[in-house]
Amino acid sequence: MAAVAKEHGSATGNGKRWHDQHPELGTAPVPIEPYISQEYFNLERERIFRKVWLNVGREEEIPQPGNYLVKDLPVCGASILLVRGKDGRLRAFHNVCSHRSNKLVWDQRGSCQMFACKFHGWTYGLNGQLTFVPDEESFFDLKKGELGLTPVAADVWEGFIFINLDPQPQESLKEYLGEMGESLQGYPFAEYSATCYRWTTELHANWKILKDAFQEAYHVAFLHKRSIPDSFTGKNNPFSHGLDYRLYPRHRKMAVYGNMEHQPTPVEKMAFQFGSLVIRNDFSLSNLPPGVNPTKDPSWALDLNVIFPNFFVDVSEGTYFTYNMWPLAVDRTLWEVRTYYPQPKTAGQRFSQEYSKVIFRDVIMEDCSTLEQTQSVLASGAKSHFVLQDQEILIRHDHRVHEDFVGFYR
Amino acid sequence: MEIETEKEMEIETEKGEPMAEHVLPETFRDLEPFAGWALATEKERNQKRLASTMAEIQSFYDAILPRMEAVIAYLNQFPLDAMPADAQRLLSLTFSLAEVSTAVELFKQPGVIDGYDATRFVPVHK
Ligand code: FES
Ligand SMILES: [Fe+2]
Repeated sequence: MAAVAKEHGSATGNGKRWHDQHPELGTAPVPIEPYISQEYFNLERERIFRKVWLNVGREEEIPQPGNYLVKDLPVCGASILLVRGKDGRLRAFHNVCSHRSNKLVWDQRGSCQMFACKFHGWTYGLNGQLTFVPDEESFFDLKKGELGLTPVAADVWEGFIFINLDPQPQESLKEYLGEMGESLQGYPFAEYSATCYRWTTELHANWKILKDAFQEAYHVAFLHKRSIPDSFTGKNNPFSHGLDYRLYPRHRKMAVYGNMEHQPTPVEKMAFQFGSLVIRNDFSLSNLPPGVNPTKDPSWALDLNVIFPNFFVDVSEGTYFTYNMWPLAVDRTLWEVRTYYPQPKTAGQRFSQEYSKVIFRDVIMEDCSTLEQTQSVLASGAKSHFVLQDQEILIRHDHRVHEDFVGFYR
Repeated sequence: MEIETEKEMEIETEKGEPMAEHVLPETFRDLEPFAGWALATEKERNQKRLASTMAEIQSFYDAILPRMEAVIAYLNQFPLDAMPADAQRLLSLTFSLAEVSTAVELFKQPGVIDGYDATRFVPVHK
């Protein structure tokens, strides 16, 4: 792969294609049906979201015993309560009272000693055990020991909290992440996660339209020609060809080219004096682990790490960002965007983070428009397939993995 | 943080002369006409950007950019979590510079060209 990476500079390429290394994927156009079909959406719910490990937050969000976090998963009609117990252990439960199924915790986050249901006052400990039932004597053979909150499988990878709605997950989180997880070993997530800026938005688009747009760089030279005119494209790489692509059984990654000749704007230059930006300005060799920028190409900007089904962990030097795409309906998606930075120690560092998050956000404003415009004409029937080029191989791979789970065309 | 408008900042002296009440540190009084940009949250700063004309945005940008080296050097004396109120306002002015920079330097208009409705992209942070 390294030999191919050297060729990114050529506009026409060296005749070698990434698809040559993955003949099993073919090169045919991919179907649009999965983006508009209610039947497909229903299968995604059952065969993906109820089956696999899903990222729902970071450990920093619930550091202390008694801290809790609620994560609603409308795609599965579920709400998950994540809580750090008195023993320091992180546990996940269905956020559903054992009496008559009232949603137990209504706020998004907080800290407490116990959970009391608002409906009839049933009370649970931080470990999910039912501890108190008002007017208990009026019930019939109530076995409190068997009426705790319903547990949900939870585990942590590099500080990221995952849950699995399958009562008997078929594999551990470590097994599920496999080589993708290993490739990020040693990345300074803890240090970089001190500061988190985050946005949410509800888009009128299928969740895979979002995923597709953020796992290719072909669009950068066009959609982002104003906002990032020379950061990810350059004289020797006008179409943002990737430095490297890796496909795993479920997950995938791309090393994104960064233009060392990039000319910063005046405010960007100012910001860069005080801290690392999401747009790389310093291309001196970093001490990031071997799995990051795997070919160690000096013209490296960041790695896109796409974790199936809906979690992106895109890492750069000094900062990283994540996306979670949560389907609400076949044509609606709740999108969570987070950017992470080290703790700013000075006003200058804080200013540089502010600049970095503003440019990051404004670039995304360009992406979001296209996502909705695409969805708005998708059901017209004008086209039945998307045509993909070599540099859109991650999208093609995603289609393959989806079909592996959903089995719609089998 | 409560932001005073320029009107509210003027108080009457005994002789009936208006006297400006200063909101920024002494060295940076030249930026006081732009104190309206000293807003505490990204949402407010973005809203002000979108509600401003390019001329207003440009004059703020032109005024603060050449002062930034001095502004940051001044602010860097203070711990981030214990800044005097006037320094805090000055810091949020620098955040507004970050906010308007893309309008001035990239889009040449207040909002992102062909951009998504900014009010739908909701910051969960400040
Ligand atoms: S539903 Fe919770 S106490 Fe009745
Ligand atoms: Fe984009």
